[in-house]
Formats: sequence, C-alpha cells, structure tokens
Amino acid sequence: MKNRLRVLRAEHEWSQQDLADRLEVSRQSVNAIETGKYDPSLPLAFKIADIFGLQIEEIFLRDIAEQAAE
Amino acid sequence: MMTAKTNSKNKTNAKPGVWAGLFGVNVALIAVLHITGALEGPTPYILYALNFTLLIPLFRTAQQRHEQKGAMSPAMRSYNRRFLSFSALYMVVMLGASGLYNRVADGSPVLWLLAIAPALAAMGMIWTMYRYLREEADEYLRQRAVSAAMVGLGFVLVLGTGWGFLETFSLVPHIWAWWVFPAWAIGLGIGMAWPERDAGEQP
Repeated sequence: MKNRLRVLRAEHEWSQQDLADRLEVSRQSVNAIETGKYDPSLPLAFKIADIFGLQIEEIFLRDIAEQAAE
Repeated sequence: MMTAKTNSKNKTNAKPGVWAGLFGVNVALIAVLHITGALEGPTPYILYALNFTLLIPLFRTAQQRHEQKGAMSPAMRSYNRRFLSFSALYMVVMLGASGLYNRVADGSPVLWLLAIAPALAAMGMIWTMYRYLREEADEYLRQRAVSAAMVGLGFVLVLGTGWGFLETFSLVPHIWAWWVFPAWAIGLGIGMAWPERDAGEQP
C-alpha cells in the first residue's frame, strides 16, 4: 500500500528515528511502512494519523487499480 | 518507552554471521565425527555443550547489529538475556548429564532424570520465544520474529522428512531426534538474519 509518510515526515523535518520515537516503535518499522514493505495494523495507522493530525486515508493511499475498479 | 535507539557507541562492524557460521560448522563437524564413530562416549556431548559458549559473542554482535539498524526493542533485549541464560543452563545440564550417564544404572530413575533434564532447558528456550511474542510491542518486529520461526519450522520439517526417507532407504546413518531443536534454532537464525532491504536512516 502506498503512503505519504516520507513527505509528511519531511514537512515536519523529522528523521525516521524521530517518528519512531513518537510512535513508540523501532526505526526499522517506520522504514518498512514508509517503503510499503509492511502495512501497519489499524491501531498503528490511527496512531500515525493522530500524530500528523490527518485522516488515515490522507496518509495511506489505495492502489490505483483498486480505485479504478470502484 | 518502547523505542529503538541508534547508539553511536555501537557503530562497530558487528558480524554475528561469522559467529553463527562458526557455531554451525562446529556442530556439523562434531556431528560427522559422532555419527562416524570417531568420537565416542561422552566426548561429542561435551564438545556440543562447549560449542554453546559461542552463543555469547553471537548474541552480543547480533544485538549490536540490531541497535545499528534501529531494530532493537526492550522485549528483544529481554529475549536475548533469557535465551542466553537457558542456553547456559542447557550447556551445564548437557555437560553434567553426559559426564554422569555412564556411572548411573541402566533404567534407573536418575538416568530418566538425566535424560529429561536437557529437554527442560530446551523448553525454557521455547518459553523465551513465547514470552518475546507476548511482550514485543512493535508489531513489525513481532511479524518478523513469527516469519523467522516459520522458517525454522520449515527447515526442521524439510530436513527431518528428507533425512527420514534417506535413513529408511539406508542411504544415511541414524541420527538422534534431539537434533531438531538446534536445527530449528539455526532456521530461526537464518530467518531473523534474512537481509532486510533497509538502506538505513532515510531523510
């Protein structure tokens, strides 16, 4: 699943470790989510959304193929 | 706080793979000498047990590597500490049992106890894994640990089934069933060390 985590993090001038500290997860987890290798659970996705003050769907994007099918 | 810290003092070039390789080669060498009968009596068990001391630098360098990669958590530190403690217990029990079993009467209750004792230490290692999965608050690290355990399980099942058929057709010698735990641990280690495409801290 694609996401805007890297852009949002850059806007806040946070390193991966800064965001990891805020989320109380490892830096490797942030990297895995950011690069789309790992999709977070709903609780973690809500936590990410809360930290940026956004809705989940403003951060995590559906696949284009899925959107086109709707 | 459940965070991973990239600690600058740990920026050493930790190579857990070297220690893991040395551990594996030693096990393989002792096993070959044991199976072929070159090592007899308690000697192979003593060598197997002494080989466990390599787990200390292995776990230490693995922890340093995880710290460097930002993949360390408090639960993983507890796991490392507990696993090393049970490994030490396993080593002591194995040394004790292999040194004593020749002096104990066949079929006696003491012999039963000596035979069961190493399995209790192995149960401690399994319990350590269970505790880790319960305590790990980082869902990504937890998922990686579960995947690694599945690699270990697959390794044991494929190796065990393969060896079993080879043994049935008398192509390979008989080996004892206690090899399953070290084989699973090796598979787990391979699963945990599987190269992460993590290019380090990204801007």
